[in-house]
Amino acid sequence: MKDDFLNRTFRHWSMWPCLAFLLVLSVYPVLQLVPMALSTIKITGEGTFWTYSPRRNLDLLLGDAVLRDAVVNTLVFVVLSVAIEMVLGFFAALFIACMPRGRNFARTVMILPILLPAVAIGSMWKLMFNYDFGLFNQMVGVIGLDPINWLGDTRWALLSVVIVDVWHWTPFVFLILFASIETLPQDVLEAGRVDGATAWQMISLIILPLLGPALAVAALFRAIVAFKAFDQVYLLTSGGPGTSTELLSLHLNRVFFEQNQLGYGAMLSLTIIAVIVATLAVGKWSASQIERKRMGQ
Amino acid sequence: MIPLHGRAAWIGYGVVALAILFIVGPTAWIFLNSIKYQIAIYSGAWVFEPTLDNYIDVLFSRRSDLVHNLWNSFVVAGLSTVAVLVVGSLGAYGVHRWFRSRLFAKLLMGWVLIFHMIPVITLVGPWYLFFQSLGLYNTLLALVLTHITINLPMTMWIMLTYFNEVPTELREAATIDGCGDFTTFRRIILPLVGPGLVSSGILSFVFSWNEFAIALNLTARDTATVPVAIARFAQQFEIQHAQMAASSMIAIVPALLLMVFGQRFIVRGLTTGAVK
Amino acid sequence: MKFQFATAFAAASALAFAAAGPAAAQAPFADVGKHPEISILINSSPWFSGFEKAVDLYEKQTGNKVKLDVTPYGGMLEKARNAVRAANSPYDILNLDALWTIEFYEGSFLKPFAEIDQGFALPAGVLTFEDSNYWNAQRRWRTRDGGQLMGYSPNGNIHVLYYRDDLLKQAGLQPPKTWDDVSAICQKLKNPPGMYGFVTRGEKGNPIRYDWTPFLQGAGGSIVKAPQDGDYTVTINSPQAKQALDKYIELQKNCAPPNVGVIGQGDVIQLLATGRAAQGLAVIAAWSTFDDRQKSAVVGKINTAVVPAFAGRNPGVAIGNWVFAVPKNVSAERQRGALAFSRWFLTAGAQRAYAEAGGIPVRSDTFASDLAAKPEFRWMKAYLDSQQFARQELGYAEGAQVEAVLGLRLNQALIGEMSSARALNTAAREIEEIFQRGGRRTGKLDALPE
Repeated sequence: MKDDFLNRTFRHWSMWPCLAFLLVLSVYPVLQLVPMALSTIKITGEGTFWTYSPRRNLDLLLGDAVLRDAVVNTLVFVVLSVAIEMVLGFFAALFIACMPRGRNFARTVMILPILLPAVAIGSMWKLMFNYDFGLFNQMVGVIGLDPINWLGDTRWALLSVVIVDVWHWTPFVFLILFASIETLPQDVLEAGRVDGATAWQMISLIILPLLGPALAVAALFRAIVAFKAFDQVYLLTSGGPGTSTELLSLHLNRVFFEQNQLGYGAMLSLTIIAVIVATLAVGKWSASQIERKRMGQ
Repeated sequence: MIPLHGRAAWIGYGVVALAILFIVGPTAWIFLNSIKYQIAIYSGAWVFEPTLDNYIDVLFSRRSDLVHNLWNSFVVAGLSTVAVLVVGSLGAYGVHRWFRSRLFAKLLMGWVLIFHMIPVITLVGPWYLFFQSLGLYNTLLALVLTHITINLPMTMWIMLTYFNEVPTELREAATIDGCGDFTTFRRIILPLVGPGLVSSGILSFVFSWNEFAIALNLTARDTATVPVAIARFAQQFEIQHAQMAASSMIAIVPALLLMVFGQRFIVRGLTTGAVK
Repeated sequence: MKFQFATAFAAASALAFAAAGPAAAQAPFADVGKHPEISILINSSPWFSGFEKAVDLYEKQTGNKVKLDVTPYGGMLEKARNAVRAANSPYDILNLDALWTIEFYEGSFLKPFAEIDQGFALPAGVLTFEDSNYWNAQRRWRTRDGGQLMGYSPNGNIHVLYYRDDLLKQAGLQPPKTWDDVSAICQKLKNPPGMYGFVTRGEKGNPIRYDWTPFLQGAGGSIVKAPQDGDYTVTINSPQAKQALDKYIELQKNCAPPNVGVIGQGDVIQLLATGRAAQGLAVIAAWSTFDDRQKSAVVGKINTAVVPAFAGRNPGVAIGNWVFAVPKNVSAERQRGALAFSRWFLTAGAQRAYAEAGGIPVRSDTFASDLAAKPEFRWMKAYLDSQQFARQELGYAEGAQVEAVLGLRLNQALIGEMSSARALNTAAREIEEIFQRGGRRTGKLDALPE
């Protein structure tokens, strides 16, 4: 049998393809960020000139006037968006999985937003939020309320940006959780029902614990992508008005790309990674605390 | 799952209906824009004269390569999805089976996460120079390779959770029955993680289909993908909402079809494997 | 130099009005010989279709091939940088926003035209937009004075004032000449939310910085003292700048919609095209929308005027042009091909074809030709009249950083997060730091009383 050879060697080569991709395409750009972050870099037609200047980049970071607002806004944006998306995605997945008919249709419809390109989502939602002509203020007008300054009011702007993110990315959470819910062991669920568990007990005592790993992966990847959210916010508000929707990703784009400050830009990239890692660590720690409390009950 | 009855069923349907309204409402509104003239979009009109001009413009005008862009996107997203499923599930299985709880496994899974956290604008510069020096600039191959790489972290993590869920006894039973490592993986394990492959497949496909920054940097006119083409409607001093909406609607259709059929293809491939 | 411009335009305009009619000279096209195919990096834009038609005509006349890589605006800088940083540029002509040119000039990524062909000279009357296509490496400044010719503008955007001709006539009002006129017209015609008196961009970043610049220049203010002479003393917190900012905020507060802090180009065009704004300050590139029945409810009703002035002063007109340049890292043969196309494109015949197809030409004689008398080209007079006042800003390596500072602080003043004086003082402090880091001779004015 031709599988014989594959069988004998499988444990040796199964990792090779992914290691090859990571080695060739990820190691260099990632590791390069560190020396970049410690330097001032000038690219010219004659060549690229590096000057070792860690102090300068650090000073820039500490003296950055918008960095603090950007970190705070980013954390608020990520926590709010991901929390809402997880809750909505979970319940949508749960209820659709419980529907006797129409599951495939519902699933297809639910993923529409992630099929649209980000530039279209940003431009179209900007129209929807428009003060004078937008869909939302038309609806608000029908109810008889005063128009809302969705993007132009510093109190509303970040929330409006979160709404767009929730619309765009709830389908992501939904898809991952829906697949997991469909593979939940039927016998366990059946047993729970026979024992007379209420719907809430079913969810909190049986379904949520079984979904643990899927929930973790969904939250993990949603959080990482949310930290990098760029296109839509850029098109909706460019980080304004003032600094009300300024995010780390927008600031990075300005420094690294618009101002061509490669060294300080790399420093900012590393800062973003550090903030993500710290947030994930806190998230993991609180999840384990909750778990421990529950076990103790 | 357990079907709901009575009051619970009504609540369930209510929630689903609300969720679908929230998701579909804006999408339908974008569709409406695609059959409006720009002035009707500007004024937010509900009563307007519908038109197919935008579709005709984006499909057939001299300036448009949309059909060609769709083909490019189809090739890139299709190939990179198939490849990332193969590479990613092999890698995740390797981590799960042979490197479990070892430092190396943790390092690898951690590394892919760190890689996933890197803002894409810091990646595209090095990648552009790399592919240019290989003579792969302006080829679909370069795009396929990079899209495999950016979708690898998510695929490996999703697949790892599914592999971890497979009961160890099943694998041990297969080994006792004389199945080799690869045969066990192919015939026993993979069919059990089908839903994982489907969801990571759909997500990889969608991410590749909509990926903009890398595609912009590594392609030129002949190799441009759909998101790059659609971004052209966001001009410096004017956004052509009508054309943008029409081309977005057109881009959704093949993506939806491919996902529905691709999903069947994956499921069938796995089950025939299991039966043999 | 400015003086030369002014006289040239005055002469050209006078000529135009005398010679208007079919008799206006149809200047010939140039015969530029056979060349290999060239490739141009260009952005999609309202003037692109005009450019494309001009290129078609070039291919037809000369048999030379031109490939256009139409790129989203947001991707232009990245692709241009990639092209010049690689071993071989895939493009033979790069279209560069004037704000980016410093990076490309100073990094010596481009081939000066004289090094490709000693004999190349720009035809007389080609607009240079304050010499944005010349580079003097020693002075680190864009000027023909001691500078090399690095390219030319395919398109020159400047601000004009858009106004509703029909409404003004109905109310017996003259087109505004000063900001006080704008205010008065706004007060007369405004009836929000059905009709706003005046709109312009207030969105953070480049939008507010660029659209406020005509106020700054018109009030006699500046960002830095004399960058052309290497004096980078920051002057953004001058009383003139404060007057400019106060006027801008006053107009926005009294006349524009309440979401001023995020109004971008799309919103300005939307308000004007739907007939919900009586006046607006925007670039000439926006024009193409208003006479298009598919996009506008005010076809034939909008006209343009030179940007209003502060009483007793000249108006300020901010330039936002593009520059076509040839990268160093392409073969000599293709560089010659790029130059051949350029020579053809700048002929009077090509410029006329470009204008007729919807482009914004760059030869003053095209503006002064019989075209300007046609109703669809009624914007041309204001455009030409504005040229003598048109100024570049941020023509230094730190430009993008200075813009980020101003883009934020102006926006904060507009939405009332800080007073105009405080915003300008803060900006002055931050801009001075930027120049200090860049090793420039700098300083700043005494702080405005807050």
